[in-house]
Amino acid sequence: MPLTFAAIGEQATVKKIAGKDGTRRFLADLGFVVGGTVTVITEIGGNLIVSVKDTRVALSKSMASRIMI
Amino acid sequence: MSVTVALAGNPNCGKTTMFNDLTGNSQFVGNWPGVTVEKKEGRLRGHKDVTIMDLPGIYSLSPYSLEEVVSRNYLMNNRPDVILNLVDASNIERNLYLTTQLTEIGIPVVIALNMMDIVRKNGDVIDVKKLSHELGCQIIETSAIKNEGSMQAAEAAVKMAQSGKKTVPHHTFSECVEKALAQIKELAGNCIPQENSRWYCVKLFERDEKLCSQIKIPSDKAAQIERVITACETELDDDSESIITNERYEYIAKIVKSCVQKKRRTLSVSDKIDRIVTNRILALPIFVVVMFIVYYISITTIGDIATNFMNDTLFGGWISPAAESFFTGIGTADWLTGLIVNGIIGGVGSVLGFVPQMLILFVMLCALEDCGYMARIAFIMDRIFRRVGLSGESFIPMLIGSGCGVPGVMASRTIEQDRDRKMTIMTTTFIPCGAKMPIVALIAGAVFGGAWWVAPSAYFIGVAAIIVSGIILKKTKMFAGEPAPFVMELPAYHIPTVKNVLRGTWERGWSFIKKAGTVILLASIFVWFTSSFGFVDGTFGMVEDINTSVLAAIGSAVAVIFVPLGFGNWQSAVATVLGLVAKEEVVGTFGTLYAVAGDALGMVEEGDFGGLGNIAQHFTYLSAYSFLLFNLLCAPCFAAIGAIKREMNNAKWTWFAIGYQCVFAYAIALMVYQFGLLFSGAGFSAGTVAALLLFIVLIWLLVRKGYNENNIRLRASNVVRS
Repeated sequence: MPLTFAAIGEQATVKKIAGKDGTRRFLADLGFVVGGTVTVITEIGGNLIVSVKDTRVALSKSMASRIMI
Repeated sequence: MSVTVALAGNPNCGKTTMFNDLTGNSQFVGNWPGVTVEKKEGRLRGHKDVTIMDLPGIYSLSPYSLEEVVSRNYLMNNRPDVILNLVDASNIERNLYLTTQLTEIGIPVVIALNMMDIVRKNGDVIDVKKLSHELGCQIIETSAIKNEGSMQAAEAAVKMAQSGKKTVPHHTFSECVEKALAQIKELAGNCIPQENSRWYCVKLFERDEKLCSQIKIPSDKAAQIERVITACETELDDDSESIITNERYEYIAKIVKSCVQKKRRTLSVSDKIDRIVTNRILALPIFVVVMFIVYYISITTIGDIATNFMNDTLFGGWISPAAESFFTGIGTADWLTGLIVNGIIGGVGSVLGFVPQMLILFVMLCALEDCGYMARIAFIMDRIFRRVGLSGESFIPMLIGSGCGVPGVMASRTIEQDRDRKMTIMTTTFIPCGAKMPIVALIAGAVFGGAWWVAPSAYFIGVAAIIVSGIILKKTKMFAGEPAPFVMELPAYHIPTVKNVLRGTWERGWSFIKKAGTVILLASIFVWFTSSFGFVDGTFGMVEDINTSVLAAIGSAVAVIFVPLGFGNWQSAVATVLGLVAKEEVVGTFGTLYAVAGDALGMVEEGDFGGLGNIAQHFTYLSAYSFLLFNLLCAPCFAAIGAIKREMNNAKWTWFAIGYQCVFAYAIALMVYQFGLLFSGAGFSAGTVAALLLFIVLIWLLVRKGYNENNIRLRASNVVRS
C-alpha cells in the first residue's frame, strides 16, 4: 500500500518506489530506498512528515503515494 | 603553494556556518535546505594562499537539480585540490551516501564530522577511528555552530592537499556489480581518465547521460558495455541506477552498524514539537497566532516607539533644526537651505523612520527561520497554495515580502522548479510591503476617517491578487502543469543563535537602508526642484504657486492615463509615478504637493491625520480606494524591480512580470471605480462599458479550460495512430 495509508508512528519497510527516473533518484538520494525503513511522524491533509535514515522529510501527498510499503 | 578547498555536503549540514567560521565572512545561514544556490569563495583566515569554496548543498552527484549540477561541474572541471566533506553526524547514514561518491572522483577527501555536539547530547557514540579506516579518509570532529574544530578540519585538508596523497575509495559493491565494473573498465580502456577510472566506470554503469556525452567510446565497445550492464540488471532484477544506489546504502548500513552506537529513543523533542505544530487541527491556528505576535510586536508596540523616536526626536528634534540653524548661520542661500533641510533631510529622514519597524520584523522572521519553524510553515501552507497552482515554498518569499519586497523576491531563489519560481517572483510583491503601509494609513486615516477595515483589506487584496493571478497564469501555456511535488528536508528545531539572526536581519534590512540613501535621496531632490521651479510669464525661475511648476506640467500630461480610475489630477499622477521609484515617496509627495504643513509621512506614521485635510479634500471614497488599489498592486519600487530582474535573469521575463502587474492593477482599479460609480447612481458611461468588458475577460481568464500538456500529447499520439 502507498505510504499515505501508513499508521502514524509505526515503522514500515519500503517495498517499491514508483515514478519517473528523476523522481525516483531524488527520493533515493534523500534516503528512500527499497528495503529501508520509514516512519510517519505527522499527517496533514495527506501531506506527510516522515522519518527516514534519521532525518525528517516533508512529502506532499502525490510524492508520498509513490512510495509503496 | 596556493590551495583550493571545496566544502561539500548535504543541504543544511552546516556548510555555510563553517564557511563563515573559516573565512570570517558573514553569509546569512537559513535553517532550511537550499540556502546556498551559487558557489561562494573566500580566503581562509590567517592563510592568504588558501581559498575556501562553499558549494551548494547536495544529496548526491547525479545531475538531478541545479545545485547538483553547479557542484558537480565545479568538482569535475575546476578540480579543487582537496574536498572538505561535511558530514552531519546526527544523520550519518544519508550523509555518507554523498561521501561514497565524493571519494570516487579522484580528489583527496577529508571529512569534517559536524554537529558532534548533538550526537553527544543524544548519547550516541561514534567510533571515529574505525569509521576513518573504513572510509579511507581522515576524519576531524567538529561543531561549526560552536566554532569547534572548523580550523583543525581546514588545516587537515590543506595538509592533505600539500602531501600529494590520494584518497582511494575503500568501499566495494557486491560481487556481481564489481565484476561488471571491472569489465567496463577493461572495455573503456584509455577512453576514460585512469586516475579516477572508478568514478567513470560507475557512471557508465549508471548510463549517466551528461558524462557519456563527454567521453568518446568506440561504438562496438559501447555496445559491449551495454551488454554487460543489461546482464547485471537481469541478474539483480533492477535498473542499473537503482542497483548502485542500493549498493551504496547497503555498504553504508554495514559500516554504520559497526562504527555507530545509537541510543534507543522513542520520539525526539523535535518530533514532539512537530506533532503539535503540524497537527491537522492546530497547525493553522498556531501559525495565525505566531504571525499575529510577530506583526503586533514589530508594527504596533516596539516598532511604533522606535519610529516615533526616529521621526520626532532624531530627525524632527535634533538633525533638522540643527542643520537649519547651521546653514542659516553660515549664510547659505535660502533656496539651498530649503533643498537640504526640507527636501533631503525631510525626505530621507521620514523614510528612515521605517527602518526600526523593518528591522524588528526581520529579527522576528529570521528567528522563525533559524529555529526551523519557517520550513514547517512552507509544509503547512503547501496544501492551500497547491489549489492555486503554487507550492508551499512560495509562501516564505511572500512572508518576507511583507517586510520589504527586495529580500522577498530574493528568497524565491530556493524554489527549484523554474515555472514555480517565476510565478512566485511575479506575485510576491502583491503583498503590501512596509513601505506601502503609509499609503494605506493615509487613505484610511485622512479619507475614510480611520475606518477599521481599510488596513486589513489591503492584505486581503494582496492575497486575492495572488490567488487570482495564480489561477490565471496557471492556465497559460508557459505556466501549465502541476507545481513540483513538495519534498523538503526538515531541519531539527533548535534555539536561534543571536549571531545568525542579527546577520540575517542586517542582510535584509540593508537593502532598505541603501534605498533610502540612493534612489529616495535623488527622488527627494528631483521633487523639490521640479516643484519649486517653473515657467512664469515665459521666464524660468522659482515659483510661488506650485500649480505653475515643472512638476505640475509633467504630472498633468501623465494624469490623463488615470482619469478612468478616478484620480486623474496631476498630484496623484506624480505621486503614483514616484511610487515606482519608492513607495515611501507617495505620501511624502502628497505632503509637498498639497502644501501640507510639516512632514506628511511622519504624520501618517504617527497617526496624526488632522493636518492632512488638504489631501483628503481632493479625493472621494471611491477615487481614494481606486488610488490605493492601483498603488498596492502595480509594479513595485525600483529596488524590487531590480531584484525581479536579477532573479529572472532575463529581460523578457522581467518586462512581462512588471507589465502583468501594471495591467492587472489598472484593470482592477478601473473596475472598482467604474462599478462603484454605477452603483452610486452615476449612470452608464463609456467607462462602465470598459469595466464590464474587462470584467468579462477576467471571468473568462479564470474559468476557461487551461492549457493542458497531456491533452496535446494525447492528441498528438492519436494523430500518429490514425
